Amino acid sequence: MIVKNTGSETNIKLPFSFIFFSILALLISQFLILLNGDAFINGHFRIPAIWSAAHLFILGWALMIAMGAMYQLVPVAFLTPIWNEKFGFIQFAVTTIGVVSFAIALYIIPSKALIPGIIMLMGIVMFLIQMGMTLRKQAKPNILTLFVGSALVCLFLTIILGISLVISMKTGFASNYYSILFHSHLLLGISGWFTLLIFGFSYKMAPMFSLSHGYEMKLAKYVYSIYVTGLLSILLSFIFNFSWLFKCGFFLLLIGFSCFIWHIYLILKKRVKKKLDLPFRFALLAIIFGEMIHLLAFIASISNQFPSFAAPLIVAYIMLWIAFSIIGYLYKIVPFLWWTHKYSHVIGKKDVPALKDMINERLALPIFLSFIFGILLVSMSIALNGQMLFYIGQLLVTAASIVFGIAILAVIKK
Amino acid sequence: MNLKEQIALVDKIREHLKKVMDPELNINVVDLGLIYDVSLIEENAVEIVMTLTTPGCPLHDSIIGGVKHCVLELEEIDHADIQLVWEPAWSPEKMTEAGLKAIGR
Repeated sequence: MIVKNTGSETNIKLPFSFIFFSILALLISQFLILLNGDAFINGHFRIPAIWSAAHLFILGWALMIAMGAMYQLVPVAFLTPIWNEKFGFIQFAVTTIGVVSFAIALYIIPSKALIPGIIMLMGIVMFLIQMGMTLRKQAKPNILTLFVGSALVCLFLTIILGISLVISMKTGFASNYYSILFHSHLLLGISGWFTLLIFGFSYKMAPMFSLSHGYEMKLAKYVYSIYVTGLLSILLSFIFNFSWLFKCGFFLLLIGFSCFIWHIYLILKKRVKKKLDLPFRFALLAIIFGEMIHLLAFIASISNQFPSFAAPLIVAYIMLWIAFSIIGYLYKIVPFLWWTHKYSHVIGKKDVPALKDMINERLALPIFLSFIFGILLVSMSIALNGQMLFYIGQLLVTAASIVFGIAILAVIKK
Repeated sequence: MNLKEQIALVDKIREHLKKVMDPELNINVVDLGLIYDVSLIEENAVEIVMTLTTPGCPLHDSIIGGVKHCVLELEEIDHADIQLVWEPAWSPEKMTEAGLKAIGR
């Protein structure tokens, strides 16, 4: 079969707009956490400053970066161009206004967060329309489409639940169900949207970065069905308050994640590239952390201790699994984006740099180690209520975020 | 152009294609085993049948464009037709010894 040129490369300004904004959001969120250390180590996560920092980190950094990366990865992974680039720029502007005003409102007057929340919702709905229309054009949907499509559905539900929470806070609407809405919002946001998205794109990127060949994809179906059933089981447990359903859900999430880690191991066993790049190894380390956190969450649920450990488990999940996966992959994606923009048209005409020459790889190790030790210290500080540990840990994370931002921004000078 | 000259030109094109590097792996497309066939369809026109390591390769357009630019650089070639195929699929066995060595095998 002869394949036509896809012409599916996205205008670089679109993913880069998201990436630049997200780095700024990362830095501000880390500074906000640093400045509110007392509340953080005492487990007072539900105060305006921490809400603002958490949403800036999750929405301003992780969500915006996921959106930017998807504008680049969806066309290449699914062999279909983005539905409407102009719409993408408008979506970026709307989401940015929404995220910034929402974070400010949460910090200053949480009761006035509804309008900014609705603007943000509009931005995210626009993104969902964009991705839905793009994926619809895919000639042959596959298991990756299912992972990414389901992740997008979870994102939509997360935002609807989030807006319901804001309305509930403001008007008392559905106040009896506040806890169900809040827990479902967290579950679908972090385990539904982010985890399913990372699963989906890892299946594309892990073989690509390791040059794996001749591996089976059958296991991915089990990963999907077991993990999604686990999510549904926990959601139902929130609604019907059945503790066995809650435990069963965490068991299924653990099994689903274990199947995923086993599958990635089998894929990597078939790799041609012997030595894997450091940023990719960091993304693989995130999978190991993810597995450990799923195991701890399951143990906490069967020993009826989950409520006591929920906060540190969620923080660890967001940082060690979601954030580390994003950081590792971003270290690979950004050089590729800039390389494509700058050198794609001269390849074959003159010498072009390799992708690993586009970003300072020597900085990768200190950045990644600072993130790991910083987050471990912050987690310990929450558990031990240690102020000094928190400040050392959070300073390390903040410093690593700054150097990470500089390394990413420096790519455009290459 | 006689047969001997045609073979020499095809060899020259193959050698010249080593200028096209896969930027992720830092190996040229010939040693990576991406070039399946190089044939002269007319005196100054070449058809190159090639593949990529994976159908969803993000460097899809860049590498194909690079191969085209590279052969058109040769003064003997005025026209290049690049045919991208997925069958037979690329496998590590298609890599040359130099390619395998570059990847640490």
